[in-house]
Amino acid sequence: MAVKKILLFGYGNHGKYIVKGLINDGFIVQIVERDEHFYQEAIEDGYHTATKVDVTKDEALLALDPQAYKQLVCVMDDEHLNVFLTLSLRSLFQESYILSISDSIHTTQKLKMAGANKVIDLYEVSANKIHNILKRPIATRILEEFVVHKNGLGFREMIIPKKSFLHGMMTDTLDFSDFGVLLVGMIDEELGNKFIFITAGINHKLDSGDTIVCLGERTELNSFEKLIQKEEI
Amino acid sequence: MKQILLSIALFLHASKGYRKRKIFIRELLTNPNNPYKKYVDITIIFLIITSVFILIYEVKHSVSQWLDMYDIYFVTLVFGIEYLLRLWVHNDISESIVTAQKEAQFLGKTFSPIPAFQECMLEKVKYMLTPTALIDLLALFPAYRPLRVLRIFVLFRVLKLLRYTKSINQFIEVLSNKKFELLTLLFLLFFIVMTAGIAIYVLEEQRNPNINSLFDALYWALVTISTVGYGDISPVSIEGRSISILVIISGIAMISFATSVIVSAFSEKLSELKENRIIEQVNKSKSFLLICGYGQLTKMFLRQSKTEIEHYIILENDIQRVEQARKDGYNAIHEDASRYDTLHKFNTKHAKITILCLTSSDVENIYIALNAKSISSKMKVIARASHESMMSKFEHAGVDHILLPNMVANTMIHTAITQPTMYKAIHAILTGKSVARIDEIRAYECEFIIGKSIQVLDFKRYKLLFMGIHREGKFVFNPSTDMVVQKHDILLVMGMSISLEYFKSSYEEQC
Repeated sequence: MAVKKILLFGYGNHGKYIVKGLINDGFIVQIVERDEHFYQEAIEDGYHTATKVDVTKDEALLALDPQAYKQLVCVMDDEHLNVFLTLSLRSLFQESYILSISDSIHTTQKLKMAGANKVIDLYEVSANKIHNILKRPIATRILEEFVVHKNGLGFREMIIPKKSFLHGMMTDTLDFSDFGVLLVGMIDEELGNKFIFITAGINHKLDSGDTIVCLGERTELNSFEKLIQKEEI
Repeated sequence: MKQILLSIALFLHASKGYRKRKIFIRELLTNPNNPYKKYVDITIIFLIITSVFILIYEVKHSVSQWLDMYDIYFVTLVFGIEYLLRLWVHNDISESIVTAQKEAQFLGKTFSPIPAFQECMLEKVKYMLTPTALIDLLALFPAYRPLRVLRIFVLFRVLKLLRYTKSINQFIEVLSNKKFELLTLLFLLFFIVMTAGIAIYVLEEQRNPNINSLFDALYWALVTISTVGYGDISPVSIEGRSISILVIISGIAMISFATSVIVSAFSEKLSELKENRIIEQVNKSKSFLLICGYGQLTKMFLRQSKTEIEHYIILENDIQRVEQARKDGYNAIHEDASRYDTLHKFNTKHAKITILCLTSSDVENIYIALNAKSISSKMKVIARASHESMMSKFEHAGVDHILLPNMVANTMIHTAITQPTMYKAIHAILTGKSVARIDEIRAYECEFIIGKSIQVLDFKRYKLLFMGIHREGKFVFNPSTDMVVQKHDILLVMGMSISLEYFKSSYEEQC
């Protein structure tokens, strides 16, 4: 995976956890904090590149050069400031991908209006989880394990290389479980980068350049990723 | 005698069957949450109505013999058995004697079962003298045909209905809260009727041909003060008419006073009555949710639920939030879920209850969880925690599922950053969108799949992605196709909701 740079605003309740996870996954994270206390905490936690900036000032934001980053993540603890920051970033950098967190039902709509590409609503995802626990407790737990790659199981996206044996094969005829992995879905470039679940019932022709999403154990996924490089098996 | 009494008490105390039956009967007759009680109630109500109907019909018509037999023997027998059973389960003589014996042994005293026996019998007599028990007893009398006057006791059969009609009971309960006001009013009524009656008797006995006794005078006073005014007796003198004016005015005042007392009693109790009705309704269902706290998470949870959740109650401490929840169209009551009495109101014995502790305070949520588990360990508790560091405390409190909103959101953000293209897919799976629902197929709920191999079940035919089997607490991912499904297995599959429904329905048909 190519190294990706993330500009993260806020080292509060959410920021601390996210930074840790991203760095473990090999991302380069630049922390920006307005609050002195949180800034000091970031430094104490070993993030010496963290900067203390007044994010309400446009010139300060411009100086951070956000366009150099893959994503801008707004997870400030102060929800008013988070909305203001999202709005400022969108007005300054039209092309940037902005991801924001919402701490209340009403803030979600405001963040979307402010121009965030994606808003994670804390209450929406939590309420979803309660529903899942009530309806499918076992499935919920296992699914969570997949998402956080606990017990080695997880999702992985792979691009079908040129001359791969998968090129030209139909999803209905190919049984991925023989390789120890399960095909969850794919992103077809021809169909406009839309994610198609395998369970949608479409017999899809795989092409080089398509992205497939598989579920499996880490070792099996690694082996399969190597295997699809081959022309024949 | 003493020895025989003690032996019987010890024998009954040791008999599991006896105790089990007694508890069952007590629950059946007295516990409104017992699932079988409603059948007993319906039967008794049916017997009351039919027997009252027969007795009324019998006044002017002759009824067939079998109906007479039904009323005399069957209905009375059932009522008699019910009366005796209620008397039996009211208290436990054997238990009291055994407890008294143990206490005597502990203190080194000489033991006699007689005082404990007498105390229990006294307790039973006290029960027999309660209004409801007296009604039950008197309701048996109409069956005795030789004395026709006993048929008036049919009234007690009607009164027996009181035990089975909650609204009348609630009406009496509400009025009993205003006992002082109503008694004052009654005393005032008595005083005015007596004064006016005596006055009119003294003034008009000689002049009014309709007033021949003090009873006539009192009857006139009562008819006048109640504003009924039949007109059969009316004052003829100026003095008598002056008294009439005063009685009429005080009558109007008293009726207004009585009305206001009753209305205020109801308005004071209205919300409580409504809340009790909500609790009764939810207690009738086999499984329901108790949602503690009406904050943002609860709002979002209910908003997402739409029609999925049928039986639930929101318990909220803050009256303003309760009103808000009611305005939003939800069933909410003003109760503190951390109190033992609050959770005890629910059918914890017979219903499957899940408690959602969703208040913003960890202290509150832990306390509610402990309260729930102390009442019944069967209650499932899902609690919200503010931070990972609180997890161990929640686990100690016996919480079945701990929800960390921050952690859930952080995981989603992490996924959105690290796997942006896949985020939508994972989000769809996590939110259970129709294209990619992950569901559980519990083998014990569909016995037909037990003993079948994965290959035979052929999930692909139903356009389902078989992910694995949860067996003995462990998840087996992508097992071999010749693996056979066992009784306690849970199969995890992913697919469109219609595919899952089709799979389940096609196997249900075969089940």
